Amino acid sequence: MLAQILAVVIFVVMFIFIIAEIAERHVVSLLSALATLILVFGFGMQSLEKAWNTLSLEHFFSPAFWYAKAGSLEESGGINWETIVFIFGMMVMVEGMAHVGFFRWLCMRIAKMVKYRIIPIFFTFMILSFILAMFIDSITVILFLAAVTIELAELLKFNPVPMILSEIFCANLGGSATMCGDPPNIIIGTSLHYSFSDFITNTGVMAAVSLLFVLVYFYFIFRKDLISKAKETDYSSLPSPESTITDRKGFLISSLIFLVTIFLLVTHAATGLTVSTVGVLVAVVTLAFSGKNAIMILKKVDYKTIAFFIGLFVVIGGLEQTGILEIVAGFIGKISGGNLMMMVAIILWLSAIASAIVDNIPFATTMIPVIKALSLSYGVDLSTLAWTLAMGTDIGGSATPIGASANVVGVATAAREGYVIKWGYYLKKMLPATIMVVFISMVLIFMKYL
Amino acid sequence: MEHQLIISIGREFGSGGHEIAEKLALHYNIPLLDQNLLDEIAKEKEVNVDSLKEMDEKYTNKLFRRTIRGFSSSPQDNVAMMQFEYLQNKAKQGDSFVIVGRCSEDVLKDCKYMVSIFVLGSKEVKRERVMKLYDLNEFMAERLMHEADTKRKRYHNDFCEGKWGDSRNYHISVNSSLLGIEETTKILINFIDCFCNSSDHKQSLAQ
Repeated sequence: MLAQILAVVIFVVMFIFIIAEIAERHVVSLLSALATLILVFGFGMQSLEKAWNTLSLEHFFSPAFWYAKAGSLEESGGINWETIVFIFGMMVMVEGMAHVGFFRWLCMRIAKMVKYRIIPIFFTFMILSFILAMFIDSITVILFLAAVTIELAELLKFNPVPMILSEIFCANLGGSATMCGDPPNIIIGTSLHYSFSDFITNTGVMAAVSLLFVLVYFYFIFRKDLISKAKETDYSSLPSPESTITDRKGFLISSLIFLVTIFLLVTHAATGLTVSTVGVLVAVVTLAFSGKNAIMILKKVDYKTIAFFIGLFVVIGGLEQTGILEIVAGFIGKISGGNLMMMVAIILWLSAIASAIVDNIPFATTMIPVIKALSLSYGVDLSTLAWTLAMGTDIGGSATPIGASANVVGVATAAREGYVIKWGYYLKKMLPATIMVVFISMVLIFMKYL
Repeated sequence: MEHQLIISIGREFGSGGHEIAEKLALHYNIPLLDQNLLDEIAKEKEVNVDSLKEMDEKYTNKLFRRTIRGFSSSPQDNVAMMQFEYLQNKAKQGDSFVIVGRCSEDVLKDCKYMVSIFVLGSKEVKRERVMKLYDLNEFMAERLMHEADTKRKRYHNDFCEGKWGDSRNYHISVNSSLLGIEETTKILINFIDCFCNSSDHKQSLAQ
């Protein structure tokens, strides 16, 4: 009982500190992890073994961690090193790609391809945002897309805000389509042992269907804003796509690494290579081909996010080991009366609402043991609950400016160039789209799985 | 001005800090930057200034803000950062100016040619001044003073390490109520002249 109380208190305090930004989130999560190890496992449970299990360090020495066909990893909860290693590898790859000008080139290439016409740019950038976010983090996608959108808006004399908002939404939607698109999906996939193709054939289908509605919705609400105020446009002031490439050889290598990574991810269930192995391979190859820039790339990796994940896994491990999450699962099971349709609706809308307000990563991490317990207790299909959780957490984040990382980066990039996006305006345009997609996802889940 | 000079002025509401800033700008024949800073930024970026002014010198509730890798979701934060960056660039370019508020004593602390001033005043004198300026009764004047200072304090302390009004963060803190605005300005001019003639200032200009 004492351990349970301590675990809940640490979790709640951590959440409050993160929301109120009292300290940086990685500092908060690491200190909370330390408190969990000492107070929950040491003082409350008096179990060194459980504390050790939560660190999950032995996973690195298990062949199954690197090669799925070598067996299965012992379920211990705690730190999900597969997620950590994979995210690290992808961060290295993305930094390498950004360094050689890949993303800026891609955006400029597409804009030129559609002859710098606003409406085609609007649609192609939304689709580009969706596709890129399927494979790389949405922060990077929006960082480059929003910057290029503003650059084009200044030349073509249109308001970039509608386009940036649409790109943000599509980045979050694209992230829901694959296992590596959004951190909650990586955590769900690695924790519950789903593959890339499991995601693409489930959440991917839902995201693709939703994208069609989203394209129509955003065009309908923004069509009057997407008009150029320029009488004449001097396209020569725009950089040519080729001139945005800072290192031609590096560009070709980065593009090749990106394509090979997608191939490895798509086929990882068949080849048996785990996402940890893919992450390590990607990082090693990127750094090997980066030469003297390798150190700079390594320095640019977002270690704070990695530290945040590590701390978070330990705190959630505390909740899991003390049985708190089983109580939460029992509560959801009770109010749904064991009815799967009701469970899906609760998990989907609860995840969406929670993710609109708080970081979706801690929420998804907390909910994974909950859906596992629900599946065990009520005999419902775990994968259905997993896709529901993924869609809810990934899509719900689009609703508010603070719901997802892509929103924050997009809103900030626009504001720094003088295009202020207020909460009211953001909610007016993005909240209906979020509700629409959550509703579409619910209908699709009901139709496909129930 | 022969050499670069930046005068940063923080002030309590009603203390006459803004008026002193105007007088200093006139005396040294350098531009005064206050709310017009956003006009300049908006003109440069070709954006609507009204939307920026709505967010000027305002504090964001932490519950409605999220920061990721140095990016903030808060429009207020972004407008503030935009102004800080603009001021730093202006300082780097060697421009001279008087800047009112905008955390300038902290934002420009690395600039060797900056002198920072905080103008405060006694409650009674400030209240009298606010009542006259805004045609308010005693109660409303005090309320306005309290609200304005609370906002300035929260905004300042949100972005700066040092606390708003803490004399340790400024080169000089002066109570304008004792001698009045004219005399206080004269004292400050004397102080700034000494600063400009100081060996440190001359040495840094020679470098």
